[in-house]
Amino acid sequence: MGEIVLKDVHKAFGDVSVLRDIDLEIADGEFVVFVGPSGCGKSTLLRMITGLETVTSGHVLIDGKDVTHTKPSSRGLAMVFQSYALFPHISVRDNIGFGLRIAGLPLAEIADKVAKASAILGLDALLDRKPRELSGGQQQRVAIGRAIVREPAAFLFDEPLSNLDAALRVQMRIELVRLHERLATTMIYVTHDQVEAMTMADRIVVLEGGDVQQFATPIELYDRPVNKFVAGFIGSPKMNFLGADATADGKVQVRNGPLLSISDLDTARVTGPLTVGIRPEHITYSHDTGDLKGTIVVEEQLGSDAFLYVEVEKIGMITVRAVGERNFHSHQTVYLTLPPQRCHVFDQADLRINMN
Amino acid sequence: MNRETKALPLVAAVFITFIFTAPIIWMVMAAFKTVVDIYAVPPVWVPDFTYLENFKVLLSDNWPFLLNSLIVTVGATVLSLALALPAAFGLVYFQFRSQNFLADWILSTRMMPPIAAAVPLYMVFNGFGMLDTIPALIIVYAGFNLPFAIWVAMSFFRNIPREIIEAARVEGCSWVQTFRLVALPLAKSGIATVATFVFIFAWNELLLALFLTTREARTFPVVISSFSTVTRTYWELISAATIIQILPPVIFTIIMQRHIVSGLTMGAVKH
Ligand SMILES: Nc1ncnc2c1ncn2[C@@H]1O[C@H](COP(=O)(O)OP(=O)(O)OP(=O)(O)O)[C@@H](O)[C@H]1O
Ligand SMILES: [Mg+2]
Repeated sequence: MGEIVLKDVHKAFGDVSVLRDIDLEIADGEFVVFVGPSGCGKSTLLRMITGLETVTSGHVLIDGKDVTHTKPSSRGLAMVFQSYALFPHISVRDNIGFGLRIAGLPLAEIADKVAKASAILGLDALLDRKPRELSGGQQQRVAIGRAIVREPAAFLFDEPLSNLDAALRVQMRIELVRLHERLATTMIYVTHDQVEAMTMADRIVVLEGGDVQQFATPIELYDRPVNKFVAGFIGSPKMNFLGADATADGKVQVRNGPLLSISDLDTARVTGPLTVGIRPEHITYSHDTGDLKGTIVVEEQLGSDAFLYVEVEKIGMITVRAVGERNFHSHQTVYLTLPPQRCHVFDQADLRINMN
Repeated sequence: MNRETKALPLVAAVFITFIFTAPIIWMVMAAFKTVVDIYAVPPVWVPDFTYLENFKVLLSDNWPFLLNSLIVTVGATVLSLALALPAAFGLVYFQFRSQNFLADWILSTRMMPPIAAAVPLYMVFNGFGMLDTIPALIIVYAGFNLPFAIWVAMSFFRNIPREIIEAARVEGCSWVQTFRLVALPLAKSGIATVATFVFIFAWNELLLALFLTTREARTFPVVISSFSTVTRTYWELISAATIIQILPPVIFTIIMQRHIVSGLTMGAVKH
């Protein structure tokens, strides 16, 4: 079991408040990712769950039991650190079996569990080496092995892949997802890489400046971000934001741009200055006709996609993601259209006012 | 560089080294000379190294004091490590109010010159009836080295990546287990460094031993100093004794050297 609940958790270092009003319910077996920009408090939140950091106020519950003041060693959690934090003075075998030895398991049982974990992770040939004799990816596997042998209530990962090269990162990402399927144990995973977040998570906690902005499934975050921050943070390239105003008849007038009639808005909130957000992949583009006329400043051609950075007069830079497109190049004129059903609208408080 | 400019530093180095080692060399020579040869003019440059009479005379009377020195030194080293290592670990990893103040205060006690403590210590041990006992010396030597030992040990514990300590705790270690199974093995070179310094201090200490011992518990340096009397200085015995006095620290340092070198330079470069 591994249900983790945070109730009204606050954290301050001295006078500096770094996390506020954190209420999260993480179900048993769920894969939850904490994502957010650097310094937003992801690691601190994770460390409060493990007990490595004290909670200033509020409660942490594991399987219904209040562990707010329980020491890390008694919480039954396993953690994989960014630096792997393997014990350098003992072999891989002893590293993996370390927690079991502390728990006082019989040696035969430890050997058995270590063998199983090392088979899952492909570490059999490395068991007698010291950690420093391993590559980064291998060290990472050992750290994961050390976590899984203990059959913890939950696994906590703090940016475990950020020290690996890109190819290995993708591979380990897939391995972790498969591991989660196989073990069906709660996993909490901290990253600032939104691709990791989107691809791995059942649900994502988006943190910013010490507040939870949104806690939802990846698709929910993409389709229905609650505010401008989440909208801009999830998705790559970033969502475009255009200044706009509400018209008397409840439509949205993009400044120096088209008048949009968006059907799903909360009409009561369509007043005053607004922001229209549209994702680069949702903008339609053409050589000869559209709502906005602009010039392609930079074309980034990836083969699968072309990212067009379009300078539109009086509006600014708009990014367009053109899937498989080969016919638009730098310095060309391009016409852009904003499909109203794809537009997100944010009010003055940056909250999204679309109904769905 | 041509040959001359290369040779120059070498010559200088040899010369300076000679100046520093000359007294030791002279003393080694004297240890193998008869009293007559020691005072001979012109000097007897190369003694007969098979002449061991000085050592025989010295050790037949004084071997118990050599043993005292050994017991006191080993005892003080062990005791100060046993106290300093857990103290340093706690100061580095436990969070409590006035943590830094406590660490600074511990170090500040080292600012007092040992002689300032000599009289009070004399009175304290007199009160306990512990004058001229080996435990008294062990306690005093360990005590004098504690601040330094704690500070050095703290710097070694600080150099252990914090996440490794945290990993141990998440893996289920109590603080005692974290200390024993993770922190100590990783601070090995620190322990060697501290041990070496305490060992050398305790082995060579004279001043407090003069104050606190009279007969039974005298250490070897006290005995050596007693060879210089109002009426006569026994150069042949002093020389022989000094050679014996020098040997243990040299041997101990050679054994520990590998660790100490990595210890003294640890943290000097960023990994
Ligand atoms: N021990 C500490 N003392 C004081 N402030 C701290 C401490 N640890 C973290 N902070 C502050 O708390 C805030 C959150 O830090 P945290 O490490 O949780 O961020 P993060 O989201 O993990 O960032 P990153 O992506 O860079 O790892 C930061 O502003 C940081 O400066
Ligand atoms: Mg972090």
